[in-house]
Amino acid sequence: MDTFLHLINGGAGNLAAYLAAHVLLCLVPAFFIAGAMAALIPKPSITRWLGRNAPYRVSYPAAAAAGSLLAVCSCTIVPLFAGIYKKGAGLGPAITFLFFAPAGNILALAYTGSILGVEFAFARFVLSLFFGIGIGLMMAVLFWRDDASHDAQTDTLFAEQADIAAPALGVLLSLIAVLIAGTLKLWPLTATLGTVTLPLPWAEAWQATLSAWVPFDAAKGEEGVSLQGSLLILLLVLIGLSAWKGLENIVEGANRWTWLALGLAAATLLVAAMRLTPSAAGLEVALTGRAVAVALAMAAVLHFARRLDADACRAWLWEAWRFVKQIFLLLVVGVFVVGIVRQLVQPEWIQTLAGRNDLLANAVAVVFGVFMYFPTLVEVPVAHMFLDLGMHRGPLLAYLMADPELSLQSILMVAAVIGRPKTFTYVALVALFSIVAGLAYGAWVDGMDRAWIVGGLTSFVGVLVAALSWLLRRRAIPARI
Amino acid sequence: MKSIKILGSGCANCKKLEAVAREAATRAGIEASFEKVTDMKAIMAYDLLATPGLVIDEKLVSSGRIPTQDEVRKWLAS
Repeated sequence: MDTFLHLINGGAGNLAAYLAAHVLLCLVPAFFIAGAMAALIPKPSITRWLGRNAPYRVSYPAAAAAGSLLAVCSCTIVPLFAGIYKKGAGLGPAITFLFFAPAGNILALAYTGSILGVEFAFARFVLSLFFGIGIGLMMAVLFWRDDASHDAQTDTLFAEQADIAAPALGVLLSLIAVLIAGTLKLWPLTATLGTVTLPLPWAEAWQATLSAWVPFDAAKGEEGVSLQGSLLILLLVLIGLSAWKGLENIVEGANRWTWLALGLAAATLLVAAMRLTPSAAGLEVALTGRAVAVALAMAAVLHFARRLDADACRAWLWEAWRFVKQIFLLLVVGVFVVGIVRQLVQPEWIQTLAGRNDLLANAVAVVFGVFMYFPTLVEVPVAHMFLDLGMHRGPLLAYLMADPELSLQSILMVAAVIGRPKTFTYVALVALFSIVAGLAYGAWVDGMDRAWIVGGLTSFVGVLVAALSWLLRRRAIPARI
Repeated sequence: MKSIKILGSGCANCKKLEAVAREAATRAGIEASFEKVTDMKAIMAYDLLATPGLVIDEKLVSSGRIPTQDEVRKWLAS
């Protein structure tokens, strides 16, 4: 019974610490950005570069951009993947798109950055981009015959053109400014501009109660819940309740609850950006440079959002809310379960299996990633757990490359569109390349000569491009693989 | 009698689209049959790059977004 309570407490503590610390300044803006991308970026502005007559030096980067900007959810990933493969630029760009989408989208990047560090998020982004294009090129080279057979198809699906409207671009950029202002740990964002002490005598006692509820051990990488954190969790619950009433039917128009939910979201971001410290005299509230920057960026969002037409604005809020419904609940459950599992895993197991950056450790990490399936974004808290338990950052990256790319669900979906032989080749390539990515990043972390790593990766993609060009010339097929 | 098809794997947007389309048809007083298409191969037979898609009398009228009731009513009338 005691063990059981201990486990539940571990899960609840992990959840509370995550909600209080990580969610707000990163995930709240990220959900709004993802919604804005889904609703406000017209798909033809990118897909017009993915037609069958696009040269491959255009179609591969465009496929990566589509993965990053258009594909935040499965409603877009599957049809766009099938469309690019069957009716557009072909197998190679379709694979690049598929591989890059889970790692390159804004939610994954923001969340990885805030939990595992900006450097790690950057490494995940760059290596996924490199290997996404690399795997796409290899598939195109291996299965060039298949693309040649698609010649007869028409190009109408990709002929449409559109540009993103100016206010929509303004909304997107100022939302990204909110995200950056909220998460970067740089001066002047961290500077304190002034403090006020509110006479709240219960503040210190409440903090003591919180620390008793969620005991934490900083040495094990566990986080407690601060007074500020408890306030933020309360605000989050209020946002959830008002959003349910205000955003569920937003397509038909805004109501009072909509404004309440949006106002609460803005207030939450401001509270999260300030620094609240309980003391004997009461609650000390520090106005930080971050709070000012977040407020300015949110004012910019409001300014541009008012110039959007009503339909676009509603579509944006609906998409943002849909992402919250689709991802957030699963994430909450996932973080809870990770907190429980963490109490059961001995650090020695992880350190023995994957404490070093060698071939075996990376291979183990990839196999784990292939056989485990976690809902969108849950792979990040799982990775955080492994990192705390002593996993080397190289194998950790290998795991993060393999897990979202290869789940049973995604393998079945790919097989339905491109058939089994190609799917198996794809899975094998992803596994192989994830191991290579893990080894490369691990070597980087361990301080190996940077020039070697960058040079190695560049020449690898260079060889693939050369092979493809040679094949295209030799077979004299149109340059669109 | 119009035939209306909703293309999509059953995500939140597809359900929303179906609700909007049903409401629009009822309000316009147009009789219509509704069919949900969830099989990916059947969906890809139409020219679309993102679900949900709305098909009226075998013609794809919108994809990748939820149209408003007014739009759907116009498509139903034409």
